[in-house]
Amino acid sequence: MNPFSRSGAPSLDFETWAHKMLITLTSALLFNLTACHRAPQSSLIAIIVPSQDNPYFKVEAEAAAARALQFGYRVRIDAHNDDAYRQDNLIDAAIASNAAALILDNAGTDASISTIRRATQAGIAVFLIDREISVRGIAKAQIISDNDQGARLAAIAFAKALNNHGDYAELIGRESDANAQIRTQGFHAVLDASPALKLVSAQSANWSQSEAFQKTETMLQAHPSITGIIAGNDTMALGAAAAVKGANRPDIRITGFDGSNDAIDAINANELTATVLQPAAYISQMAVDQADLFIRTRSTGKPELQIIPCDLVDKSNAAHYKDFAKLP
Amino acid sequence: MTAPTTLTSRVLLLLLKLRAVLMLVILLALFSALSPTFFTANNLSILAKHVSISALLATGMTLVVLTGGIDLSVGSIAGLCGIVAGLLINGLTIGGSTHYIPIPLVILVALLVGALAGACNGLLVARFSVAPFIATLGMLYIARGTALLLSNGHTFPNLAGSPAHHNTGFPALGQSFLLGIPAPVWIALCIAALAALLAARTPFGRHVYAVGGNERAARLAGIRTSRVKLITYILSGLCAALVGLIIAAQLESAHPATGESFELNAIAAVVLGGTSLMGGRGSIGGSLIGALVIGILADGLVMLGVSEFWQIVIKGIVIVLAVAVDQLQSRVQFRFLSNLFRPKQEANQ
Repeated sequence: MNPFSRSGAPSLDFETWAHKMLITLTSALLFNLTACHRAPQSSLIAIIVPSQDNPYFKVEAEAAAARALQFGYRVRIDAHNDDAYRQDNLIDAAIASNAAALILDNAGTDASISTIRRATQAGIAVFLIDREISVRGIAKAQIISDNDQGARLAAIAFAKALNNHGDYAELIGRESDANAQIRTQGFHAVLDASPALKLVSAQSANWSQSEAFQKTETMLQAHPSITGIIAGNDTMALGAAAAVKGANRPDIRITGFDGSNDAIDAINANELTATVLQPAAYISQMAVDQADLFIRTRSTGKPELQIIPCDLVDKSNAAHYKDFAKLP
Repeated sequence: MTAPTTLTSRVLLLLLKLRAVLMLVILLALFSALSPTFFTANNLSILAKHVSISALLATGMTLVVLTGGIDLSVGSIAGLCGIVAGLLINGLTIGGSTHYIPIPLVILVALLVGALAGACNGLLVARFSVAPFIATLGMLYIARGTALLLSNGHTFPNLAGSPAHHNTGFPALGQSFLLGIPAPVWIALCIAALAALLAARTPFGRHVYAVGGNERAARLAGIRTSRVKLITYILSGLCAALVGLIIAAQLESAHPATGESFELNAIAAVVLGGTSLMGGRGSIGGSLIGALVIGILADGLVMLGVSEFWQIVIKGIVIVLAVAVDQLQSRVQFRFLSNLFRPKQEANQ
């Protein structure tokens, strides 16, 4: 519901366009006169992420922007709100602005392939972060965190906190999101191996804190025997924590996923047991580094698919993590 | 011959009027039978707390819909007001020094923001003749965007405040109990009772119905239709602000995306309660029952472990069926009423 980005105002686009026309005309002239050896290169890097009101995607966008600015690129950040159509429009805008590279956390694998292919054909080097697409050879790189490994880490910590027995509930992310599916599969790959751990209720809370709050309250009513809640992301885990606090059930263990600062604060306050940190900032920086290398040398020197492992964050190491990165 | 017909038709009419309540009773019975913990004091209290959110929004929405309008911006206004509260509780930095504001003032400011957003809607609709759908759709985006701008996309945490800043106590708005009933339920009940009184027992209430029934006739009868509309949008904005505050208080944090698609739940509750989207017909009480039906359905299905996808489908079916039955029954009702009047006329002759 927030189709507003903080940049990309129409006047700016016009300036960019006018600027580009000028460069094109001048360079055409120069080309005729001197047969110059290098085509004029746009120095815009477009960054498109799912939303800017989620701490994870926000860090992802900001880390990429900071790195690109550091390298001297112009930057534009937009959000597609998990709407493939809006993503399509934003990528059209990036093509129209003659962006050199696109850093993209896409709006769903199947819906994104044709759009990404169009950007590549228009000469934009596309670097995918966070979410994978099933087709190879279109994007220059796909740098994703290992959701399956992360989910298994979370599940192992969760099972340990529950001493491998008892009733538990699960809060699933938006069910149309591939990462929601990968995480729940990862959880169950571990948890289903313990016969004494029993899943009594599983609900989607669509990644939302207030929805997780209400659904947890209701699930606790239906199943007072619940002693643990495993959540597909941190915002849902925090919603569950608020409900558990309201129900005065400090015995209930909750784990999240993402590694947001809010979740780490909650771990320190004993409201969450653990979360799994996806190195969002690191992944974004890697993507920009490779984009820069590609723009200069036409090669990233790396395989297309690069999978980055996640870290488990619990009370023992919470102090070492901040802003989706391990502190140096 | 006429006496039994009148009796049966009267009984039928009573049943028709109680149809929403009957639906509620059926749902309650169904979920109580299927889930052993559904009909317990504890769960009903939580259920009431969940319902109070959409009931509050539906209360304001009913007044707007009665004038023939609609307010699509309530969810966004709720999100904005939560963010305003979050911003103020976390301290305003002006000129290098950070200021903390006492909680009653925080609540007042958030309510004012809600009222102001509602007033913008009202002015656009009443003075500038912008279609309510468009005016409030605009406000939906403006309020959501403003919430994102104010928070820079972040969540405001720790709304519990701190004793050092003399701003503790905000969570009580969403978490405290009075006589064993959660605070949000009291708030929703009080607001709904006031609104019902306003609608049914005051000249203003009659003006609301008149504007929705026939705006031109109302204006010719001397009703200041613009002012009536303006006030309904302000009241709707205030209800939305209350919802934003309650949710922020419950979660002890304010998120700029809070309240997304809440407006649709509120409209569904209003429609389920028998209020006509054309205006002029309906009641606050009906909307409360509508909110209860939607809330019970949502919570009951979660307790039964029904998947999210089915929950959405079932909600849609219930809304469409309820309105279809409403139309059917009003036709039946009309026929019975005509039958009622005919013998009387003959007797008079």
